[in-house]
Amino acid sequence: MQLNGAGFDSGLQSEINITPLVDVVLVLLIIFMVVVPLLLQGYDADIPRTAADAAPAQAEELQAVLSVVPAACRILEPPSGDGLPADCRVTLNGQEIPATDLPARVAGILGGRPADRRVLFFAVDDRVNYEGVLRLVDLAKSGVDNLQIEFLSTH
Amino acid sequence: MRLGEPARLQSAINVTPLVDVVLVLLIIFMVMAPKMGKGPDVNLPNTAKPPEQGDERGKILVTIDETGGLWIDDQPIAAERFGDGLRAAAGAEPNPKVVIRGDARLHFREVRQAMAAIQEAGFQGVGLVAKRAGATAKGD
Repeated sequence: MQLNGAGFDSGLQSEINITPLVDVVLVLLIIFMVVVPLLLQGYDADIPRTAADAAPAQAEELQAVLSVVPAACRILEPPSGDGLPADCRVTLNGQEIPATDLPARVAGILGGRPADRRVLFFAVDDRVNYEGVLRLVDLAKSGVDNLQIEFLSTH
Repeated sequence: MRLGEPARLQSAINVTPLVDVVLVLLIIFMVMAPKMGKGPDVNLPNTAKPPEQGDERGKILVTIDETGGLWIDDQPIAAERFGDGLRAAAGAEPNPKVVIRGDARLHFREVRQAMAAIQEAGFQGVGLVAKRAGATAKGD
């Protein structure tokens, strides 16, 4: 680095050595490049093969079924903002409740069961918007860990 | 280097142009990377806290665009050939995971039909891809 070094053989080196910095930045960039676009986020879901196959280990009266119809929850189009319409109501085991109560109600019904028996059946009207459905799934899952989602065929 | 002095040999390689080129390449890749994922761009549904599903490698990506058109990985596919296409995409892999990237503007009907078709083709369970509200991700 002594291009003008005549007479300064043991002179102070005034430049900061940026090589390690560049190395670290490059490695970080490469890690982000590889990892970021490939990560997926989402919800595991299932549909029972036949009506008889629907969680055979559970008696019918123990099943938790959530019905979503557009008359009670107006999500025919993507809901505005990040949540659901404030007046959205859903039916859990025959009882109509505001969607905001969903985490607590789901936890009340399924929270005490072993993790592999925590199944919530969704009976969703075909006309309901897909994003709205996923927000309801998210809300239900926020109430209880390891909740399995099954979509019943309503037709 | 003063004039008149014998030029000293500079033994270190000058890496500055190399670093410049590499940085520009990296920036280009960073900008392009979010668009390099498989399948067409869709407007993924936003939810509050979607669980991580891991890496998309090794999974079959089914995309449903806003018109209800089906795609397997990068290829559009007709609804009647969907099951065959899925089995072809699975190849020899015993039980690959199928994930559905559905557009936020779809109605549940299209997604339910795709799930039923995936199940009919012999796959158990699907992942429904979402993105965290407020985050920017592939498909924007």
